[in-house]
Amino acid sequence: MNDRGTDERLRDALQALAAGVPETPEDFRAASSQWRRRERRRRIVLAVLATVVFVVADGLALWALNQADPDAHVIFSDPAPGVTAPQDPSAVPPVRAGQP
Amino acid sequence: MIGRWGIAERAADVPETRAEEIHDDRDRAVEALFSEHRRSLIRLAVLLGADDAEDIVSEAFYHLYRRWRRLRSTDAALAYLRSVVINRTRMRLRHLQVARRQLQRDSGESPAVSSEALALLRDDQRAVVAALASLPDRQREALVLRYWMELREREIADAMGISPGAVKTHVSRGMAALTRAMEERR
Repeated sequence: MNDRGTDERLRDALQALAAGVPETPEDFRAASSQWRRRERRRRIVLAVLATVVFVVADGLALWALNQADPDAHVIFSDPAPGVTAPQDPSAVPPVRAGQP
Repeated sequence: MIGRWGIAERAADVPETRAEEIHDDRDRAVEALFSEHRRSLIRLAVLLGADDAEDIVSEAFYHLYRRWRRLRSTDAALAYLRSVVINRTRMRLRHLQVARRQLQRDSGESPAVSSEALALLRDDQRAVVAALASLPDRQREALVLRYWMELREREIADAMGISPGAVKTHVSRGMAALTRAMEERR
């Protein structure tokens, strides 16, 4: 059997199989109203999920802030680069006249 | 940026006025596509082996409806619909293959095409359909699009999301496998 024969037999079988598919009523209005409902439901679910995530993140952040010790300054506890801490004047040896 | 099927990757890529025009015409255009192509898409899904062809086509139209604003043209809409039907059918078949692996091994027949549909066919046609169902997904899809829908290589490539060269390869390998299967049957 050559390729040509297979072509024809394949076309024939596919057409016969397609012809056997039962006709179903087309109701665009019902279908489109179903799509709209699905789309609305999808948007609502997305909005609810976004709200839940936002509220949970806010709640966690507020809880974490509430747990922190108000006396502990974890931010800017180190001196900034280039800024030296003030020295104790008593620790500096006195400079005497005539000394190099 | 325009992606496959001419669907813009971002809504911002579609000019505002054009988007509004598309949105206004959406229902009319989708209705036209629905009445003109729904039946052939259901048949395509059946030929590819779907057992729930109507659900798959309905899902495809829903996706089209949802993404209409980002669509470039009605030609792209049809290619997009075909692509969704093909992908959904492939997913469904893979799911069924996993679920029915044991049953398939016992009966020695592929569950891809329903027995009601096969009952209407002659013996030789049934043998071709059985051989077609035993092919890998991609080869079966390429053959159905080529020999039933009579699509060109470029259109098949768009629908399957592969290159025209790959389409040629799948068609020739599929035909060779079908010819071998038919010869073995003789």
